[in-house]
Amino acid sequence: MKKVFALLLAAAMLLSMAACGSSGSEAPASAPAEASAAEGSAAASAEAPADSEVAAIQAAGKLVVGITDFEPRDYKNEAGEWVGFDADMAKAFAESLGVAVEFVEIDWDNKIMELDGKTIDCVWNGMTLTDEVTSAMECSKPYCNNAQIVIVPAAVADQYQDAESVKGLNFAVEAGSAGEAAVNELGATATPVKAQSDALMEVAAGTSDAAVIDSLMAAAMVGEGTSYADLTYTVGLTTEEYGVGFRKGSDLAEKLNEFFAASYADGTMMKIAETYGVQAAIIAQ
Amino acid sequence: MELILQQLPIVIGALNVGFLQTLKLFFVTLLGAIPLGLLIAFGSMSKFKPLSALMKTLVWVIRGTPLMIQLLIIYYFPGLVLGTPIWGGGEGGRFAAAACSFILNYACYFSEIYRGGIQGVPVGQEEAGLVLGMTKRQIFFQVTLLQMIKRIVPPMSNEIITLVKDTSLARIIALQEIIWAGQAFMKGSQGISGAIWPLFFTAVYYLICNGILTLAFGKLEKKLDYFR
Repeated sequence: MKKVFALLLAAAMLLSMAACGSSGSEAPASAPAEASAAEGSAAASAEAPADSEVAAIQAAGKLVVGITDFEPRDYKNEAGEWVGFDADMAKAFAESLGVAVEFVEIDWDNKIMELDGKTIDCVWNGMTLTDEVTSAMECSKPYCNNAQIVIVPAAVADQYQDAESVKGLNFAVEAGSAGEAAVNELGATATPVKAQSDALMEVAAGTSDAAVIDSLMAAAMVGEGTSYADLTYTVGLTTEEYGVGFRKGSDLAEKLNEFFAASYADGTMMKIAETYGVQAAIIAQ
Repeated sequence: MELILQQLPIVIGALNVGFLQTLKLFFVTLLGAIPLGLLIAFGSMSKFKPLSALMKTLVWVIRGTPLMIQLLIIYYFPGLVLGTPIWGGGEGGRFAAAACSFILNYACYFSEIYRGGIQGVPVGQEEAGLVLGMTKRQIFFQVTLLQMIKRIVPPMSNEIITLVKDTSLARIIALQEIIWAGQAFMKGSQGISGAIWPLFFTAVYYLICNGILTLAFGKLEKKLDYFR
């Protein structure tokens, strides 16, 4: 009797776990379920090298773009819609493929896992083409320039106007970022933190002497009207290029290169860039 | 200060949306973990050795590894290793994966609390029940269960308050709960960028929520006092 009861309990356990699993896959309603089904078939077809991810995306009817909330690249307007230079370009690219676009906010540390795990189709968010990125993703051609610059308290800024003078400082940098690479190359000590914004908080709180973040972000986040009114930016360490990342081996990257060339040629890329004030950073296609 | 007052309505709006997600995860976890924990507790107390060994191994693995790793494995493993992303990339899928991880994790902790509560009821009461001719089932539901509930209220309130705060771990798979919402203003969101205070302000939400829970558990404990 007891054994029967025990077995019943075990069965109930397994069932409840199975129920948990299946309700999970049903929960995100029909759209993501369809997407995962379509991506499932994409995975199957990926084994045959001739098959194309472009076709898989078109079959699924949508391109899932991994982003972070990062003005002016990808951010929400008052209506709660994703806008920004990268968001608008992604919309136009999806339109050229004849599919809908879905923006999904991701944790930046997990971008490669998100891609390889097929929860997103591309990373399109002002991503610097570092060795880490280019070795793990199929990248588009660079489309935007950026620089890594040093942030210090405004009160001491005049002491730190060149690369030599900042060597002795303790830097806060985003883990895995181009800023971290720049500080390591400089030979200064670096404390890795979770995000560029956390690096700024370190400087504001005095727990680090300086931070290195990218110039586009610095322009938006430091100075008057922000919580970092007492911080300023001084010397630029390295310049770098932005690209869009796809799954390794995906033919979407080549497709995007063609799209970039076309939209640069007909002026739409520049027009979108001017909307968000990034026209100076655009790279000719 | 004036700047903060200007930003306040936008920030509160965004934090409310984030906190709703936090509460959703909290309640779904409780709904799943409270019964599942009881099943695991019965399983690990079973006299049927393979079942109790299995349950004890499960509890060991789940309690012995960080919840953050469990979240990453449950969300990314199907797509990365099996090639089928069962959860999908949307918000619903992320929530479902987070809820499964939390339910499993908390059920294991709850099961040990239940086990302590059940085994803490003096064995003489079970013997008395048997002498009176009650079945095991009757003894459990009419003698043991309510006394167990009384005993487990303080440790359960501890775990449940911890759960409110642990929901913030789900941001590792980009579930946009309240801490995520607060941090968004550090980078820039809805026209506010470089604002640190919203992140710290999230603590107020947790404090109020846990204040309410503490009062509720205090009341519950008083209600169950008649067992003395």
